[in-house]
Amino acid sequence: MSNTAAEWRIASDAQDGVGDRAAEVWQYRQILWFFSVKALQTLYAKTHLGVWWIFLRTLVPLLVASFVYGSVMNIASGGVPYLVFFLAAQVPWNCFDGPLVRGSRGLEVNRGLLVKLYVPRIILPLGGMTPGIVEPVIVALVLACTLIYYRINDGIWYVASEPRPLAAVAALVLVLAFTFSVTLFTSVWQARARDARFVLRYVVGFWVFFTPVIYPLSQVPEDLRWLMHLNPLTAPVETFKWAVLPGMEHSWTWFLYTVAVTVVTFFAGVRFFLRAESETMDKL
Amino acid sequence: MTERWEVSPRYPGVAGTMVEVWQHRGLLRFVGDRALRKMYRRTVLGWLWLFINPLFPLALRALVFGALLGVGSDGLPYFLFLLAGTVVWEVFSTSLMWGTRALEMNRDLYGQVYHPRAILPFGNMTPSFLNLALKVAIFALALAYYTVRDGRVYLRGDWALLLAVGALLLSLLFALALSFFTSIWGERTRDMRFALGGLMGVWYLLTPVMYPLSQVPAEYRGWMLLNPLAIIVETFKWSLFGVGEFYGAALAGTAAGVMLLLLAGLTYFTRREARVVAER
Repeated sequence: MSNTAAEWRIASDAQDGVGDRAAEVWQYRQILWFFSVKALQTLYAKTHLGVWWIFLRTLVPLLVASFVYGSVMNIASGGVPYLVFFLAAQVPWNCFDGPLVRGSRGLEVNRGLLVKLYVPRIILPLGGMTPGIVEPVIVALVLACTLIYYRINDGIWYVASEPRPLAAVAALVLVLAFTFSVTLFTSVWQARARDARFVLRYVVGFWVFFTPVIYPLSQVPEDLRWLMHLNPLTAPVETFKWAVLPGMEHSWTWFLYTVAVTVVTFFAGVRFFLRAESETMDKL
Repeated sequence: MTERWEVSPRYPGVAGTMVEVWQHRGLLRFVGDRALRKMYRRTVLGWLWLFINPLFPLALRALVFGALLGVGSDGLPYFLFLLAGTVVWEVFSTSLMWGTRALEMNRDLYGQVYHPRAILPFGNMTPSFLNLALKVAIFALALAYYTVRDGRVYLRGDWALLLAVGALLLSLLFALALSFFTSIWGERTRDMRFALGGLMGVWYLLTPVMYPLSQVPAEYRGWMLLNPLAIIVETFKWSLFGVGEFYGAALAGTAAGVMLLLLAGLTYFTRREARVVAER
């Protein structure tokens, strides 16, 4: 038997500071992958229809809503068929709606796991958000099919004369970044109190009415439009529509405003999240 | 003095269930009380939700669809129009949501005290009655406000008003009939509740609550009338304000259909309840 005493070293992965935390998240990126896949599977697990369920659940409400808003309630749509307008606005909106609700559940759902192993907790809302990307992709695909349908049927491409794919992608990324920043707050609240879920559902239900998703911004009286633009989601939604559809307007100034709001929310969110982590999360 | 106890088997069949439910009607208060308590348990705002819940979405929809987008409302103030439709729609939707959870929420009662299970879907709907009472109060206030403001009597003054109560009752019975099915299906999985939530969103859009049926393009109107709720909602608004059309034959058909469905639901429930409870 050798005489050398065993050497024990306690290494903690937890480090302080935002930069260190970011590095930590990068170290644990495979776990992020694990959580994303897990969350993705819960989308359709245990349903008879399987993957088709996602399509059905995303599309049927959209198509019915488009019929009711466009054909029955005759809401204006800025010169393109209402369905095209509505779907184009739903792509960025779904980058917010679904990911926000799912990401906010991130901590609550994985409560049991948190006790068993160490992961940087910020990974949980981020991982929870990822399946939310599926819905905007589906909506975008259906938008493409709709455009082709109108091309064949009416002989008109309802596409911007010079489409701006970069601007469209930038708008979507901005929405996702904003959503993640908000999730940093909401996931903590939701882990603390059950109300948060109700409040969130309400606020999101509200929010869609204050974002030009079911009606164009041009319907709002001109002197009130700045009020609509205070909503950080208005600008990216407008930019996305401008990049894809013909005859739309948007403003880079307000786009930059949303970028600024997102940056501020993000840093405030990270600070809030890290503090809450040590204070309340261990009591979950 | 000796107390006499009689132990007897339960009455067989659907008629037996009905008799039994009537004999145990005292339990309704108890079940309703439980449901009310569970409604906002573990929430910070608690009972405040009772008021936030109906008011916020209503005010917002009125603002966006009525004021901003100018959706038609059969000549009524849009808020009043929306409120009337919402009252009768929510009697249906909230009753169905709570009725669906009846068995799942009262599992702990199974082993404790004997009760006819058929009492649970109705008893569990109590929160929706509270919601209805609140909505009716808001409706009365709004009606008074618009009557004074416009100097015009919106409410009609004849016997048709009684039909409005009938429409409310019909929408409640329809929810109860469906609950006899959904509560059994939803006993084991929460999926039922989520699927129902998605379905209700679509159903709401297809029911003329936010818009009058007269605004639906003529080629689709026949299809819309296949929705029993569309007929109930239109009847309610017609009997309150005299707006829209009165679909007499369709209403009679809906009423008959709801009664049949109620009977079918009770039969289904009676047959399945024993198995669902025993499998726990």
